[in-house]
Amino acid sequence: MFLQQILNGITQGGTYALVALGYTLIFGVLEIINMAHGDLFMMGAMVGWALVTLLGWSLVPALIGGMVGAALLGVVLEFTALRPLRRKGGTNLSPLISTIGLGMVIQNLMVRATNGQPLSFRVPLSEGVIRLGPLQMTTAQLVVLGVSILLMALLQWTLSRTRLGRAVRAVSENPETAALLGVNVSGVILATVMLAAALGGAAGVLVGLSFVSVSATMGLPYGLKGLAVIILGGLGNVKGAVAGGLIIGVLEALTVAYGGAGYKDAVAFGFLFLMLLLRPQGLFGISAAAVRRS
Amino acid sequence: MAVLLNNYYLQVATFVSVNALLGLSVYLVLSTGQLTLGNAGFMALGAYTAALLATKAGAPVWLTLPAAALVPAIVAIPLGYASLRLRGVYLAIATLGFTESVRVLLQNWEFAGGALGIKNIPSLGRMVQNGLKAAQIAPPAGLTHAQLANLVVLLFVLLVLGLALAFIYRQAGGRVGRAYAAIRIDEIAAEAMGINITYYKVLAFVQGAMLAGLAGGLVAHINFSVSPSEFAFGRAVEMLTLVVVGGSTTPLGPVLGAVLLIGLSEGLRDFSLFGARLSDYRLILYGLLLMLVVALRPQGLLTFAPRRKGARA
Repeated sequence: MFLQQILNGITQGGTYALVALGYTLIFGVLEIINMAHGDLFMMGAMVGWALVTLLGWSLVPALIGGMVGAALLGVVLEFTALRPLRRKGGTNLSPLISTIGLGMVIQNLMVRATNGQPLSFRVPLSEGVIRLGPLQMTTAQLVVLGVSILLMALLQWTLSRTRLGRAVRAVSENPETAALLGVNVSGVILATVMLAAALGGAAGVLVGLSFVSVSATMGLPYGLKGLAVIILGGLGNVKGAVAGGLIIGVLEALTVAYGGAGYKDAVAFGFLFLMLLLRPQGLFGISAAAVRRS
Repeated sequence: MAVLLNNYYLQVATFVSVNALLGLSVYLVLSTGQLTLGNAGFMALGAYTAALLATKAGAPVWLTLPAAALVPAIVAIPLGYASLRLRGVYLAIATLGFTESVRVLLQNWEFAGGALGIKNIPSLGRMVQNGLKAAQIAPPAGLTHAQLANLVVLLFVLLVLGLALAFIYRQAGGRVGRAYAAIRIDEIAAEAMGINITYYKVLAFVQGAMLAGLAGGLVAHINFSVSPSEFAFGRAVEMLTLVVVGGSTTPLGPVLGAVLLIGLSEGLRDFSLFGARLSDYRLILYGLLLMLVVALRPQGLLTFAPRRKGARA
């Protein structure tokens, strides 16, 4: 029972971690919070739903399609809500507000498009169950966990081994110096935003898959939990986002299992609140100085 | 006259005024340079305090409204001391966490009706109407009892708004207001000048919480019911929108924001363009406005040059 809950929590936590990675990538490079991230997540799920349900695609191409769809919306985000503010300077609260605005636009357009109704998201593999000793897992859960791990590994590889990853790290260290050394800073920022959006979109498809439904408002709870996770793990910290996602996922699963189902949504924030007060730099945060800089 | 004072317009005007109070509550915190999304949570505390006192203890409205301001203020003191060490986006997220936590706790609080909330809260309009009837005051020619009662409620809310504005203006010219402005412009310099920045930030936070709670109490007594879902993320964002769009450098900004956004969207509820009802697109318009204003006019629509002369010593 206990181990089963841990396993469920890890599966759920994997999607939280993917959402959180999107926030943390953008924060790492731009030092801003993208409040539209939950809605990019939702759009990924919607594109995935459309590809599977309307066009009859299978899961893997639909997942990639959802990521591409979200990444394209990420381009819209960069050009409408982020870049215009960057030219003006100002604090990092302005993009927080403008991305809230874009999120409202995206979410409510989709509410209109779907009449506010959830859409059923059926993929053939949703039914099966795999047993491993006392533990059991649905195939959907297995896919969610597998894809989450794969994407995180891919991200880690991109950041540490590729030219793009090196450029991203350089810009997040210091944009001016990176520009002087010949890094195309706006290009790197655009790529980062697209990468973050694609991770969010993938998480959206996976969540749609595990709940067998998608809706225009599904982004909000995940967006908010993603925020809790990145604070827990330390803003801008990739490992922290993964660990934070898993911790919140497991804590939630245990809360539900031991009678606190109604408080599930307070777990992340209760934890976040404690964390902000006790250790604002997060579990893996670098130093208080870096926090102050932001 | 009687046409102009129809019940619907009166209710919209009351609603606008309450939202102006909510905008002011965010403005107060913003005037120290801190962005809060927690005032929706304080509004919830105020609304529930008033609703519970009125329905469970039968307390009269002159007791429930002050309590609605007081309880959030008491909660805001420790919360402010703890969270105002955080700045910028950290504070925004922490206060958002507070709002969401309050909502989840209220949802699970069976005594307060759980997710359904509290119903049958004594309404201000009904109270006034009964009072007028008991005192045998007949409404002036052409007005119904309900109209007169709604008018009295509107005037009462306007009075509260006027007092709040007067307080904020008076404060702005004095020691506290100048401390707020100094902290907003440059925290480190303000501290070097000997301003106790923690004290003033917490003070602004508590003032904002009081105003949000009072507005929550008013909402409870105007709508007859409260439920946790009214005080979620969307409410926090709406309050912020009023200030950002209306103007964040003068107390009249949030008032203008409320008149423009709430007034127009309520007033034009049935207005349609190319077969699309405007009210269906209200939140999309809000979102676009937020983006446009932040990009083009970050200080908001309404701004005044900072006063140089005549500031009280």
